[in-house]
Parts: sequence; C-alpha cells; structure tokens
Amino acid sequence: MKFSIFRFDPDKDKKPYMQDYDIELLPTDRMLLDVILRIKMQDDSLSIRKSCREGVCGSDAMNINGRNGLACITRVRDLKEPVILRPLPSFPVIRDLVVDMTQFFKQYHSIKPYLINDEPPPEKERLQSPEERDKLNGLYECILCACCTSQCPSSWWNPDKFVGPAGLLQAERFIVDSRDRATQDRLDDLNDVYRLFRCRTIMNCTEVCPKGLAPSRAIEKIRLMMVKDSI
Amino acid sequence: MKRAIAGLHPWLLQRVTAVYMLLFIVFLLAHFLLDPPQSYLAWHAWMRGPVVSIATFVFCVALLTHMWVGVRDVILDYVKPLAIRVAALTLFGLGLIGLGAWVIHILLFAHG
Repeated sequence: MKFSIFRFDPDKDKKPYMQDYDIELLPTDRMLLDVILRIKMQDDSLSIRKSCREGVCGSDAMNINGRNGLACITRVRDLKEPVILRPLPSFPVIRDLVVDMTQFFKQYHSIKPYLINDEPPPEKERLQSPEERDKLNGLYECILCACCTSQCPSSWWNPDKFVGPAGLLQAERFIVDSRDRATQDRLDDLNDVYRLFRCRTIMNCTEVCPKGLAPSRAIEKIRLMMVKDSI
Repeated sequence: MKRAIAGLHPWLLQRVTAVYMLLFIVFLLAHFLLDPPQSYLAWHAWMRGPVVSIATFVFCVALLTHMWVGVRDVILDYVKPLAIRVAALTLFGLGLIGLGAWVIHILLFAHG
C-alpha cells in the first residue's frame, strides 16, 4: 500500500517535503496507526505522537487524505491510495506529524474547564439527578484531540481570539452542569464578537469529530442560552 | 450589556432580518403570482399603498442591516491591520448609508 507522508525536521530541512513509502499490508494491520508504526520501524526518523492506540487519548490526530482523524481508529483498508498523511492543518509543526498544541490548550483553559462552585461542599459529594447528568452526554466525551479546531476555518483565521469548537464544546459542558454556579459569568465571557461569534456554522467540527460529538450543536445551544438570557 | 452589542446582538439581528426578508419575498411572490397587477399604473398604485411601502421600507432597512453584519464579519475575519480595517468598515458603512438615503428618496419622491 502506498503512503505519502509529510516530513519536516526544522534542524535539517529548509522546507517540508512529502516522502513516499510502499508497504505491504499484513493480516494484522487493521488500523492506520499499525501501519505507521511499521513504517517507523523501517525509518525511525519519522516522528509521530501516539499513546493509548484505541481512540481514547487523542494523541495521534492527523490529517488523513485531507480529513482530520485519529490514526488508531481509522481502518487502513478503507483508505484511498496513496494515503496522504499530513500534520493537523494550521497548527505549527514541531517535526513531521507532531504539532505544537500550545494555542489550542490556551483556548481550552480560557473557558475555565472546571466546576466553579463556592457553596460549602456537602459531606459526601454534590449530587445530580439522572436527568441533570444526562445533559452532559455528548459533551464530556471530548478527548481534546483537536481534530475539530484544526479543521475549522474560523479557527484558521483567528486562532488567538476564537475559542474554537473544542473549547466551546467544553464551555457548554460546564454551562449545563447543574453543579456549576458560574453559568452567567461563562455566558458573559463568551458573548464576544471573537470568542464565540466567529463561528460561521461551517460544521467541519461535527463532520470530522472522531468521537462522533457535535461541537456545532453545543455552540448553537450556547447562543440560544444567550438569547434567552438577554430577553 | 456593552459586550452584548459586540457578540450576540449583531448575530441575532442578522437572523431576524433574514427571517423578515424571507417572509417579504414570499409575500411579494405570492402577490405577483396570485393577483398580478394588470398595468404599470396598477403596480405603481399598489406599491404606493401605505402597508406595501412601509413593508418595502422595512425590507430595505433589513437588507442593509443584514449586509452590514455580514460584511463586517468578513472584514473582522480577514482584515487584520487596524487602520485598514477601520477604513474598510467606514467606507462600507458610508456606502450603506448612501444606499439607505437612495431607498428613502425612491420610496418618498419617485413618481411614475
């Protein structure tokens, strides 16, 4: 199977180039990551990030044939040849398929991704009803792989000002949490021409999310909460 | 509230104006399909009726507002240097005001 992989080592290369690999698939090669690891055995200069190899850690997000995804849960036999692998679009490249995610996590931290509740804690825990807990479904599962944010044109143009789909999905997760007491502050913080309202409902985020989540729906819900709040 | 003007307010305005324009266009199409004016004079008289001229005026205001929010969004996305951004927004704003004045002129003073 033919692969064309983005290579760039800032210490050696003046500019990035695509390197071709031809590798025979073995019956044990199920996911794209299996094959990338075998390519790395042949050519150990190839740099990638990976950890859990089962779609939970979000380390091996990359651009696969033009579409962001996780190499570890992408079936290699379903891909069109040559398989073109590039680092996440718009993120600064550290080396080969490894990107700098500093900006991404800065935006994530800016939405205060933790419960804010100054009330005295109960003896055991802050309880939720099953209905209240259900509201977190489709939000808490995000693994912060950055597939969505890296495929979002609004994030491409304003990565420093627009929170991006991943951050906004997380914002919604804390806004709807019944145990959180900072809902109003969170809405006020996002009610800004850049932080939330650069979203143009392009929906690439929902299209590519490897966990099947819908950041665009979360963004829409935040907007509707703001509308209700302002009436 | 100050920030609401920058974020939610224009977004909401864009949607509200879109809905109004859609309703107005459907209303226009329905009128011309179901009860088409038989002559230029009949059309002119219909257009000059108070309800239709007010509805047309509101349509034009909605259109200009919608254009302002849309193009403002494009400028905020792509035009980064502050001076060029302010100049682009000012030029576009003045252009829209000019168009608005022209609309008022047509609706108030144009005679067949």
